[in-house]
Amino acid sequence: MDAYFYIILVVGLLSTIICVAAGIMKKAPNDTTILSVAAVELSLLVYLVGSVVRVASGEQIAGEPWEFWGYLATALLLPIGAVYWAILERTRWSNFVLAAVGVTALVMAARMNQIWY
Amino acid sequence: MEEAENVSAKSSQDGTGTPAVSSPMTGPGEAGLPDARSTEAGTADTAPADTAAADTAPADAAAAPANTRNTGPGRLLIAVYAVFAISATARAGYQILTKFSEAPLAYLLSAFAAVVYVVATVSLAKPGRTAFKVSVVAVLVELVGVLVVGALSVFDSVNFPHETVWSLFGRGYGFIPLLLPILGLIWLYRRRPAPLKA
Repeated sequence: MDAYFYIILVVGLLSTIICVAAGIMKKAPNDTTILSVAAVELSLLVYLVGSVVRVASGEQIAGEPWEFWGYLATALLLPIGAVYWAILERTRWSNFVLAAVGVTALVMAARMNQIWY
Repeated sequence: MEEAENVSAKSSQDGTGTPAVSSPMTGPGEAGLPDARSTEAGTADTAPADTAAADTAPADAAAAPANTRNTGPGRLLIAVYAVFAISATARAGYQILTKFSEAPLAYLLSAFAAVVYVVATVSLAKPGRTAFKVSVVAVLVELVGVLVVGALSVFDSVNFPHETVWSLFGRGYGFIPLLLPILGLIWLYRRRPAPLKA
């Protein structure tokens, strides 16, 4: 597990906690919850840039490279899709949809780490 | 859960509470303003044919907003189904493309599970009676699948390598594959379409 994973671990868990809390408090998606998901997206982008740099500088991915990039690409689309789905109907339930992003990104980042090493 | 449902009925724009389902006859007044909002959300992913079917009678048109499952808790359900549809499809595709000959049965099962999740996701998101029936079938197949494959993978682990979404009752996915069809059936039951008037 590398720094990229731990960044997503912290940001993802925080985002999930914030969104679940907002959902429990019966709030519709607001700036706080949407920005927390945006932070997950940002940390995934950091992972993307970092990975591109590492591959460009000659580092080898231990597993299947296309599997790694597939995971990363899917993970990057996830927050965007979730925010879109959440703001179409702004109820407290949409916050639980947003909450799913953090954990899912976390699981995917763990899998990406496994593939890389 | 009961309390949560009531709250969602208040806060969501179309009054998603159970009463709306069982009483399509409440009259257009109640559904007046909120309708606009919910139809707008509904039509986004509705085929023209479906809309036509839903509007066959004025009474049906009034009941139409209630005949959707993509609102309130349903949105979370659909989102989770979508994640499983994507991951199961990707996983099955990967298994079949790279190592199909190792365990054809398990990987075909993976592909089958992926199809079930895709069908469930799409049909849950679509309004209408047909979509409802498709959802029920897909979710039931999913429930049977996770139970049968789960049991087989426990009792006959030699012939069932643990490589599908449903193996070991979905333990590799936090048992969500086991939980999902149960929640799905509860949701479908709560939002079942009103009986057709002859």
